[in-house]
Amino acid sequence: MARYIAKRVMYMLITLFIIATLSFFLMKMLPGSPLNAEEKLTEEQQAIVLEKYGLNDPIPIQYVNYLAGLVQGDLGISFAFSNTPVTDILMDRMGPSAQLGAQALVVGTVIGVLLGLIAAISHNGFLDYTSTIIAVLGTSIPNFVFAGLLQYLFAAEWELFPVALWGSFEHSILPTIALMIFPMATAARFVRTEMVEVLGSNFITTARAKGVSEPGIVFKHGLRNAMIPLVTVIGPMAVSLMTGSMVIEQIFAIPGIGEQFVNSVMVNDYPTIMGTTLLFAALFIGIILVTDLLYGLIDPRIRISGGGK
Amino acid sequence: MKLKNWALLLALGLLLTVLVACSGGDSEDTESSDTGDADTAEDTTEEVAEETEGETEGENVLNVINGDTIPSMDPSMATDEYGFQFIGATMEGLYRLDENAEPVEGIATNHEVSEDGMTWTFTLREDATWSNGDPVTAHDFVYAWQRAVSPDTGSEYGPYMMGGVIKNATEVNTGDVPVEELGVTAEDDFTLVVELANPTPYFESLTSFGTFMPLNQAFVEEQGDNFATSTDTLLFNGPFTLENWTSTASEWDLVKNESYWDAETVQVEKINHVVVKDPSTSVRLYEEGSVDRAGISSDLVDQYSTHEDYVVTPETSVFYLKINQTRNEALANANIRNAIARAFNKDDLVNEILNNGSIVANGLIPADFAPVPESGEDFRAASGDLMTYDTEAALEYWEKGLDELGVDSIDMELLGGDTETSKVMNEYLANQLSTNLPGLNVTLKSVPFEQRLDLDTSMDYDLQVAGWGPDYLDPYTFLSLWITDGGNNMMGYSNSEYDALLEEATTTLATDNVARYENFFEAEKILFEDAAIAPIYQSAMAQLVSPKIEGVFVNPFGATYEYKWASVNSAE
Repeated sequence: MARYIAKRVMYMLITLFIIATLSFFLMKMLPGSPLNAEEKLTEEQQAIVLEKYGLNDPIPIQYVNYLAGLVQGDLGISFAFSNTPVTDILMDRMGPSAQLGAQALVVGTVIGVLLGLIAAISHNGFLDYTSTIIAVLGTSIPNFVFAGLLQYLFAAEWELFPVALWGSFEHSILPTIALMIFPMATAARFVRTEMVEVLGSNFITTARAKGVSEPGIVFKHGLRNAMIPLVTVIGPMAVSLMTGSMVIEQIFAIPGIGEQFVNSVMVNDYPTIMGTTLLFAALFIGIILVTDLLYGLIDPRIRISGGGK
Repeated sequence: MKLKNWALLLALGLLLTVLVACSGGDSEDTESSDTGDADTAEDTTEEVAEETEGETEGENVLNVINGDTIPSMDPSMATDEYGFQFIGATMEGLYRLDENAEPVEGIATNHEVSEDGMTWTFTLREDATWSNGDPVTAHDFVYAWQRAVSPDTGSEYGPYMMGGVIKNATEVNTGDVPVEELGVTAEDDFTLVVELANPTPYFESLTSFGTFMPLNQAFVEEQGDNFATSTDTLLFNGPFTLENWTSTASEWDLVKNESYWDAETVQVEKINHVVVKDPSTSVRLYEEGSVDRAGISSDLVDQYSTHEDYVVTPETSVFYLKINQTRNEALANANIRNAIARAFNKDDLVNEILNNGSIVANGLIPADFAPVPESGEDFRAASGDLMTYDTEAALEYWEKGLDELGVDSIDMELLGGDTETSKVMNEYLANQLSTNLPGLNVTLKSVPFEQRLDLDTSMDYDLQVAGWGPDYLDPYTFLSLWITDGGNNMMGYSNSEYDALLEEATTTLATDNVARYENFFEAEKILFEDAAIAPIYQSAMAQLVSPKIEGVFVNPFGATYEYKWASVNSAE
């Protein structure tokens, strides 16, 4: 097991290195420069400013310098926010996004699993169709539509929640609901499909014949088996939720990382773009590792320690 | 066996989370729906009203929306609207602009200009202090201005604003001359002598701009790289202090600065700012009463133009078609250019497509920007409409042009921005041109801003929708764009007469403001006789502004809003 993890961590580092390299060169292909007053300065004046940021060096040298900083954990100083280290920006902006993402993930998955369970148990019944419709709507309607609707109804019309802005827990409720629709619908769809299949399989019939109680069958035998595909999708979904949604953050005026990331790309803030990309990538790769380890716990058939894989 | 138990435990754990989270979610739901059900909607409204009142009660407090974060509060490094806005509110330079954009005393009480207009001697007030108690002296200006052009600083606006204005600014920036040689010296603590590179009649108003703010050397050097990254690493000498701010903050306050030399004039105690980018969210926050001012995007104008708080404020940015004479030979023909400049309906464009209070532009210098010296008349009004929509004249020029070129159809490309509004505008312009000028085929190219700049620099376009905002209070900021081989000309326009008029205005006539303006009128006329550009519109901002906000001035350049003389109408 330890060897397996060590191997995986090494792969992770290699992947990160490739991502860093790719995004570095892709970023250099963005049109324009990080200068804000580009059109007002002569070439010579632009060069003086770029010199300060080390952007006059040939690209391979910039790349080496960049990697050197990275190895030392230095993500650099933002071009857009003068004198502000990228790590500070990430720290500041990650908080609200992570909180919203976590809330949406937990609430969404829980409700989704319940919906899926109910649907599977009343297979082809009224409740099944209802929850399927909810799931289809949830995956197909983009969340900014929900966000706008929620804001209009619950904040503007009925004044139950604040319209936007960030601060108290109350402020996080509407964006959380808007964000949780997708994980909810996804979880419901997966759980339903799996449960229907599992509940129809032979070992369930055996369990029934043995006289296992219905809750026992659903939770102990059914749900546990249905969890495997769910775990696969929840991992990456967790990352995408916690790294922020530009649209939701913009609509509810939340100072999150998703919105910041898009902004950085718009103004060619290279260090911030790189820092954010790497952070997202690391989170993503880390979660995939955790997911793989979880499989083993949930499903003995995919045991890693056995070395069979 | 062990692992199986683990798995069971995990499943149980998951289930528990399910239950706990579920009940948690439920109780929240009930709580909130309780407030909704039990108390009626009326109560909720009251609650909101009370909340807002509670915040503002007995205080002069305003709540406004800011379109984005403040990227930099360092006067040397700031380049954007928001940086200059808050530097302007929290710091004070030699002069400050009043309601009519006239310079009024700031740190300087008065000044003398030498006969040749090249040496300005400012007398500073002795009672101005920094927020740490240090006096504001002439040395603070010398330090700040040297810092702005020093190549070590890497400032963008320093060399841009001071180059060609202050003696040796460009040379210091390129490293040819030591920084001490910059034409600014402190004769004593309260006398500042500035030597200029060229006579600059608008220098007085220029000193109100963010880049020209003083800096306390000891403080800046003590903070080092942390300077101006948060409230704690800033010093203020203006009407307000900036509180609760870090560089990525999305909420912050302007608080009245009690140590400001003219603190008794400042009436507003506090102005809260929150960053909101979404236009419909802004409007909803306004309706909710959380903010006292919100911008209205053009798609919302129809809905709110009848709102009692709807206000349109003209801006001083002008948008026009740049006509590149170097790529498409048809555009080197003056008749063809004249035809294009007259062939699109600007009224419909501003009313139907932009629909945000923008006004038609029939010249280069925007309206309500530069008053003509002595008469005080607005430059635009005095200069008149130089290029209007006129299909008949357009057609006449067009046919003459086609004859001269010996062709009966022309293809050209129209380059423009890729925001929603820009795209619609580009399509409209292309459609108007090809409808009104038979034989003209326009292809559209909508690209992001950065890419448009690149294409502009490489002159790789035929027609381009572009714009310009002023950097100082003088028509020269616009007219200098089209000087032969100018850094922003980038369309191959060249007219020696035009160049000579402007050259004269900055040299021999520099101290005679009336004569300078005569040259400006003349130059603008030439520009449109040549149909060098085709003016489209002058931008404006549509907003909802609470009637309780009074005395907030909108500046034609520099800090957008001036809050020094603002007050909160208590009757509201």
